[in-house]
Amino acid sequence: MKISININSRLKELEVKPNETLLSALRNNGYTEVKCGCSEGECGACLVLLDEKPVNSCQVLAMSIRNKQVKTVKGIGTLYLPHLIQKAFVEAGADQCGFCSPGMIVASYSILKETGNRPSKEDIRRGLDGNLCRCTGYVKIIEAVGMAAEKSLQEETQKPEAVCTNM
Amino acid sequence: MLSENLTWEFPSSAEEAAGLLLRPGALLHAGGTRILKTCPKSVKLLIDTGGLGLDYINFTDNAYYIGSGVTFSEIVKYPAKGKSLPLLQSSLSGAASTPLRNRITIGGSLKDFPLWSSLYAPLIALKARVEILTDKPAIHTVEDYVSSGIIKTKHLIKHLIIDEESGLISGVKKFSILKFQYPAFTIAIALCMKGRMVEDARLVITGVRNRFMRFTKAEEMLKGKTLNELTLEEVHRHISPSFMSDYKFSASYKEKAARIIFMDLFKEIKGGMR
Amino acid sequence: MYKYVNKPAEKIDGLSLVTGEEKFTDDFTYNDMLYVAILHSGYAHAKIEELDESEALKTKGVAGVLSYKNTSSILYTTAGQGYPEPSPYDTRIFNDVMRFVGDNVCAVAAESREIAEEALKKIKVRFSLRNAVLDFEKSESSGIIIHKDDNSHAKIPVYFNPSENLASKVEASVGSFERAFETAPKKLTCTFYTQYASHCAIEPHAAVTWLDSRGRLVIQSTTQVPFHVRRIVSSVCQIPISKIRVIKPRIGGGFGGKQEVLLEPVAALFTWRTKRPAKLVYSRKEVFTSARTRHQYRTVFKAGYDTDGKITALHLDALENSGAYGSHALTVLSNAGSKTLPLLNKIENLKFTGKGVYTNLPCGGAYRGYGATEAYFGLGQIVDMVCQETGEDIVEYYKKWTIKPGETSPVFQALGEGKEGVAMTIGSSSLEECITIGARESQWYEKRKLYSHSTGYNDGRYKRGIGMSVLMQGSAIAEVDMASAYMKMNDDGSFNLLTGATDLGTGSDTILSQIASEVLDIPLSQIVVTSSDTDFTPFDKGAYASSTTYLSGQAVKKCAEGIKKQILKTGAEMLNVKLDLVELKNGFVTSKVGLSRVSFEEVCRYSFYEKNQYQIQASASHVSPKSPPPFAAHFAEIEVDSMTGIIQVLNYVAAVDCGLPINTRLAEGQAEGAIINGLAYALFEDYYFSEKGRLLNDSFGKYGVMTAADIPPVKVFLVSSYEETGPFGAKSISEININGALPSIANAFYNATGKRLFSAPFTPEKVLEALEK
Repeated sequence: MKISININSRLKELEVKPNETLLSALRNNGYTEVKCGCSEGECGACLVLLDEKPVNSCQVLAMSIRNKQVKTVKGIGTLYLPHLIQKAFVEAGADQCGFCSPGMIVASYSILKETGNRPSKEDIRRGLDGNLCRCTGYVKIIEAVGMAAEKSLQEETQKPEAVCTNM
Repeated sequence: MLSENLTWEFPSSAEEAAGLLLRPGALLHAGGTRILKTCPKSVKLLIDTGGLGLDYINFTDNAYYIGSGVTFSEIVKYPAKGKSLPLLQSSLSGAASTPLRNRITIGGSLKDFPLWSSLYAPLIALKARVEILTDKPAIHTVEDYVSSGIIKTKHLIKHLIIDEESGLISGVKKFSILKFQYPAFTIAIALCMKGRMVEDARLVITGVRNRFMRFTKAEEMLKGKTLNELTLEEVHRHISPSFMSDYKFSASYKEKAARIIFMDLFKEIKGGMR
Repeated sequence: MYKYVNKPAEKIDGLSLVTGEEKFTDDFTYNDMLYVAILHSGYAHAKIEELDESEALKTKGVAGVLSYKNTSSILYTTAGQGYPEPSPYDTRIFNDVMRFVGDNVCAVAAESREIAEEALKKIKVRFSLRNAVLDFEKSESSGIIIHKDDNSHAKIPVYFNPSENLASKVEASVGSFERAFETAPKKLTCTFYTQYASHCAIEPHAAVTWLDSRGRLVIQSTTQVPFHVRRIVSSVCQIPISKIRVIKPRIGGGFGGKQEVLLEPVAALFTWRTKRPAKLVYSRKEVFTSARTRHQYRTVFKAGYDTDGKITALHLDALENSGAYGSHALTVLSNAGSKTLPLLNKIENLKFTGKGVYTNLPCGGAYRGYGATEAYFGLGQIVDMVCQETGEDIVEYYKKWTIKPGETSPVFQALGEGKEGVAMTIGSSSLEECITIGARESQWYEKRKLYSHSTGYNDGRYKRGIGMSVLMQGSAIAEVDMASAYMKMNDDGSFNLLTGATDLGTGSDTILSQIASEVLDIPLSQIVVTSSDTDFTPFDKGAYASSTTYLSGQAVKKCAEGIKKQILKTGAEMLNVKLDLVELKNGFVTSKVGLSRVSFEEVCRYSFYEKNQYQIQASASHVSPKSPPPFAAHFAEIEVDSMTGIIQVLNYVAAVDCGLPINTRLAEGQAEGAIINGLAYALFEDYYFSEKGRLLNDSFGKYGVMTAADIPPVKVFLVSSYEETGPFGAKSISEININGALPSIANAFYNATGKRLFSAPFTPEKVLEALEK
């Protein structure tokens, strides 16, 4: 069956099976940046934003999200135009094997959005409660999200000036 | 895995959904998390409830109406007024994980009642009611909904109704070693106070042998008394949940732990009153 | 002092990883690919009497079935170790006897994963059931032989006796334990248990195989050991090494779990026979049950000591549950002794005895810590017990009795890996400073005193305690492990670095670049790294035994020094000055006299096109004469709820000597990751089995893995030392820090409660049991 989904701001027609998960539909269509660590909704490697909310794509049936918006980690930022959060992950050393990173970035993006770039440490910890990482022990991941929040706030306050000078 | 030979329907009204639900192998789909966890073999038709407009939270006539399509996250984020809803919010804020709470709905979670449910204990403690649209439209208390077996029938849930009780003091605690883990049990306490006196008490535990139980003897004991009249030991004596052993915890340990957690919670509530 | 090493350099693949650009094994899909699914045994011990795959083969879309009926009966070990492997040759790609629930019955390849899984259900198997050994302590006396008449054998001259269910046996002694123990004024005998665990790398095991345009077999897999994969697949699939290429893409964590050749032979055989690409990816459940685990252990410590606390006699007897196959059975066992006993090197009479027994349970394998984790649980508590008895502060005790620079331990030579070890003198150690820093940062003296029983602080329900332990590990296997590197120069003054070393998420590609950058004095961006492709990169034994930075790093350093010589030579020629009058500086060859200089770009152009043309290139191999131990001091502060039995870790401090950390941030990350894994192992991670040997908690949810919401405050301090046999003074860091949580928490528990924990993990029920004793 064909369904249309907006993926990373592009309208896509995907051929999916009626029992297929969003994770499988995405990966089968080349969105391999969405990782599969367990297929049981318990590791968070497959997190995507569904209408701007993080969900485990392995726990979503593709047929049920017709006409919705999906954002993978690449919809947040790319190698060529990385998001602040992605840069902060690399700067903080929150990236070891990187297999959990796409999901972690999606969760972190949502934390910043929900808290208006002012997450407490507890907001960060709780916002990452669905993402497993076995390499880092989370210390540097929590640090990275904090760094990204700070930088986002700075950018927010600096933006009007930048616009003025450009004019 | 779910069968490949599935069809999907996307009804736009409750009546339409109700009609479809009569077909053999039909199952309602909301968030999909339980369906993907259990993968029921017999399913031939999935009826998506996304178009039924059941994703509302209203507060009217001193009661909350929570549509069955509302997710756990939406409940947690709802700017609650009063004293009832915060108990449910407190329980659901620690349920599963952030991304799962974005998909798990009230309807799906009510219908499936997993043993580790974070939903049922607060709902029973709040005397919440569930309104069913089909096939026999009615309003049941959540407790009846489970006990009388309605939960097992094919039906479409419209919403939950939670009355606001102004004299309510309450608390909920789940028992798990990790934050994102199926809790061994969840305890909810709701005391309806009139002045300093307990008018009504609901003491609930889920995760026990019979899914849930109320400590009715302790409830009776509390009624009509002030919290200071009773010693903790008197209440404690009537907290005797019965568990099944599992690989992580023995039944006897869970019984012991549940009594301790219950008393911790009770003390917290009592302390909060002062 | 340094420009590129000892710095927190960003990972060279970092941004590609966090933007989802990098590819992992399962991300590769090829045209006309087959999907493989494996049928696993539901019985712990059974013989396949009949296997009927005819119905499965008739299913539309099924390309083939592999089982013991149509695959070779060549024996091998799945352990990805150097040749000849110290692990026994006791398995086949498909055996006809099932030795644990999760053992491989057969495999199906089909057009899709769904078809393959459906076809598995159509395979009819008639088993004759055998009695199973599910209690490792009873394995030897069970009368059930798990590897009976199956030709299992050891590849090296070691004790191996499957008729007694012995997968391994190790004995070593120094002095006379018996005599010293007998005459010791004070004695201790304690038994400790450690449990199974899963590595829980978030990426499941996977292999993708296909034939290249010349009919050669290409294997992409989640492996820590690409060169061992090539050798082992060649041997069991009977395909010449010249026809196999193994490529390691990005790897989603290993921790030892991917030092195992499990999936590659199956996928490879399907591809070799059907000429089609094939993909095999383990489900999470398969990773838990059918991949490898941490061995379950019983350790018995006997210590004799003087009234002043000097231990005069120590015996460690280890019993290892090897599981159904003996992967790493011998070497994990030897390491339980060799990585722990040298720490207190003033003990004159030492004895190590150990056995690895077969059982009908999941197989052990390599797991970060590798025997040391298991033994430190007991050793760390024994030291605490001696101190409690003599009244000495354990911090002072460790400072006094641990091995120092310039000292040795006879254990280094007495206990190797399947053979004699290598004698070694400690060259570098900042252990004493580590202990001091850890004690200061954890407020050891104040808290230890405050929490001790006499103060009354802990008379209530919640009891606090602080405990510590000291650890060592190794860096590579001395005189066994070899790593190599190759470099060449490009026209713009950049370099290709080809290394066999395997970055499984540790950041070794970055660390090795930093080393090359430092030697050549050029930025990291000028080093283009290709690693772990058996066609293009030189040999490296793989990522294990805490070896990559130390061993592969030294190979890269030597290689870069070779390049440097050539650049200097050509530069001198271009500048027309003597070789000893030029130096490398910031991407130039500079004359020490006068101001003349030539850039790397000019040097390379000259060497390519102008005169005496040649390719500036070098290769180097490295074998280490020793395995210098990193050291660490770990401090844990806990709170025990004496009513529920729940232990909460309040603070954790680790001070670590890894020599000179090449990448400070990645080194901290290694320590933090290992510590959290160690804490989870100490507190709750475990395998629970049914009465018939089936794993009950075979998912992340049931097993329980800490998330960011669960971790306690962890502080890591890197305390540099200089190891002269390592690159720029580096030693290892990857494994050591998983070893501290068990003894440190157990000692903190004693400080809080006056009771001892002898069995891990410290679940609430076990804690209550200990409190009631």
